[in-house]
Amino acid sequence: MKTILYWMFFTTKTAALSVTVALMLAFNTRAESLSEFTGDAEKGRLVFAQCRTCHYPEKIIGHHNGPNLHAIFGKVAGKQVGFDDYSETFKAAQFVWTEELLFAWLANVEAMFPETTMMSLGVTDPQQRADLIAYLKRFR
Amino acid sequence: MSEKTIDRRTLLASLATSAAGIALSQHSSAGTRVAADSQEIKKWDIVTDVLVAGSGAAGISAAIDARRGGADVLVVEKLNKLGGSSALSGGVIYAGGGTKLQKALGFSDSVESMYHYIAHSGRKHPHLDKIQRYCEQSVAHFDWLVDNGVPYNKRFSNGKGLGFDEASLYYSGSEEAWPWRDECKPAPRGHVPWEKGHQGGKRLMRSLLASAKKLGVKTQKRVCGERLVVESDGRVTGMLVDIKGERAAIKAKRGIVLACGGFIHNREMVKLYAPELYDCSVPWANAGDLGIGIQMGMGAGAAALRMDQGFAIGPIYPPENTIAGIAVNQMGQRLTSEEGYHAVMGNIVTYKQDGIAYFICDKDSDRPQGDDNQPLVAEANTIKELEQKAGFPIGSLQMSVNYYNEHAKNGVDPMFHKSKKYLSPIVKPPFKVYDLSVDKTMYSSHTFGGLQTNVNSQVINVWGEVINGLYAAGRNTSGLPTSPYIASGISVGDCTFFGRQAGQHAATNKG
Repeated sequence: MKTILYWMFFTTKTAALSVTVALMLAFNTRAESLSEFTGDAEKGRLVFAQCRTCHYPEKIIGHHNGPNLHAIFGKVAGKQVGFDDYSETFKAAQFVWTEELLFAWLANVEAMFPETTMMSLGVTDPQQRADLIAYLKRFR
Repeated sequence: MSEKTIDRRTLLASLATSAAGIALSQHSSAGTRVAADSQEIKKWDIVTDVLVAGSGAAGISAAIDARRGGADVLVVEKLNKLGGSSALSGGVIYAGGGTKLQKALGFSDSVESMYHYIAHSGRKHPHLDKIQRYCEQSVAHFDWLVDNGVPYNKRFSNGKGLGFDEASLYYSGSEEAWPWRDECKPAPRGHVPWEKGHQGGKRLMRSLLASAKKLGVKTQKRVCGERLVVESDGRVTGMLVDIKGERAAIKAKRGIVLACGGFIHNREMVKLYAPELYDCSVPWANAGDLGIGIQMGMGAGAAALRMDQGFAIGPIYPPENTIAGIAVNQMGQRLTSEEGYHAVMGNIVTYKQDGIAYFICDKDSDRPQGDDNQPLVAEANTIKELEQKAGFPIGSLQMSVNYYNEHAKNGVDPMFHKSKKYLSPIVKPPFKVYDLSVDKTMYSSHTFGGLQTNVNSQVINVWGEVINGLYAAGRNTSGLPTSPYIASGISVGDCTFFGRQAGQHAATNKG
């Protein structure tokens, strides 16, 4: 598992997608896949609301304690201009945020990135994670 | 028992060997918070004068003043980042009685006015001794914040709520709302270190953490308290902790300060102790607010007070045009003055209306377009039609709106005395109903209940006696904040002030 992590941090963007898949398999022990769920953006509004202690998806508000999440999918992790509080983990990261990766990460935040400074307990319910992702997709 | 002075190397070295140092009793089981008998501890892995659990505003303020009092201080934090929920907050400190910032901006204030507002606008029978000390020392406490490097701009904002401007002083509660504006002279008491985008808490904690570090306070992340250690005479002298899966025993020669925050993220605990908050849609705190400090204290016999109370808000403002609308219950009856601090309405909705409420507006008092926070329930061109569509009892909403309009057009509000500047008849279609219910709108909540402490932040047991060696502060305790929460800054103000009392007293405690 550590090998996969290491590889991910220093890999190139082009390889990121396959790494993402490997990560999902490695960390998501229940082998849930986002494709098994249909996200409901309206329900995701309230699931995401707790994240608003630190993150805003509205572009106009900008960064907060955590980076802004406007159009987050497709962005390289840890590289947003104007946010200077990334953990070393994300400063070094070179992967691209995908819906699948966020789905896997939020299942168990510290299992995937033990040194993250994101102060979240994650979202253990897979349907709620799918809802949250559907909501975030509104902001692009 | 062996003792040794702690330094970073010792601490790190101890991590590897920590598990061997403890013989837990046979009654121990994973997850228990029942205090351990000191006889069970064969070896202390770490020794310090004052141990602080939690690195939010309460813990770091305790650490700073304990260190200034001459104690060796170790702060342990469960998470991988220091700052606690305070760092995620607005960072407002409720201060008054004539602080330097109030004076510099031309506002007069008195300890008496501040005391009256805090003592009378919240829940019945608050901790008056704590309120008194807090108000009497507020001017000095603000100076302490400044001395510790917390930056404030000499700028006032007359906006409701934290603005996006650079102001460091504003009216953060209901001081200007009826009846408080008549009972005690209003003054702006919300003191906020300015940081772009509502990040005052981050700025506050960055300053306090830097000050603590400069003074020589030691901090260690990824260390989670599990159980207190009690001597045969009842004194608390240590804590069993988890360090990345290994257990260790930490001895505190002068005192232990529990500053582990509230318990909003411990959902089972919320359901048991604060059922109304359980229904609120959004737990509002960082991941460490799991009630561990409260449970450790209870495990040592501490009393826990007001456990059902908490912060619960689903704000209708900003923007301020919405304040001209009205909030009603499911019977179409108006609830309160809409200009009051949003937690006052939140308290009514959460605790007195079964979590159900609605916001009624016209074109001028409508919510901003694109704001998806409060779901639209119904829209119509007449109030009668709106009432029918939204399912209010026949005639009820019409009666409320007619009564409100009848007086609002004359600039008065006989029922709740909303200020004239916010009064405007609800007459311009389209009329709308938005859902203000705690499980439908974004309803942020966190807990106010916690351990009983005295004005020195010493923890009190269930028989009303001080537990020697044990202190607590912030949302780990039942402090100044109650339901209704009366102003931004009461909570972090309470954290910093009573954290300091804990640190000062612990530093001088000789057991």
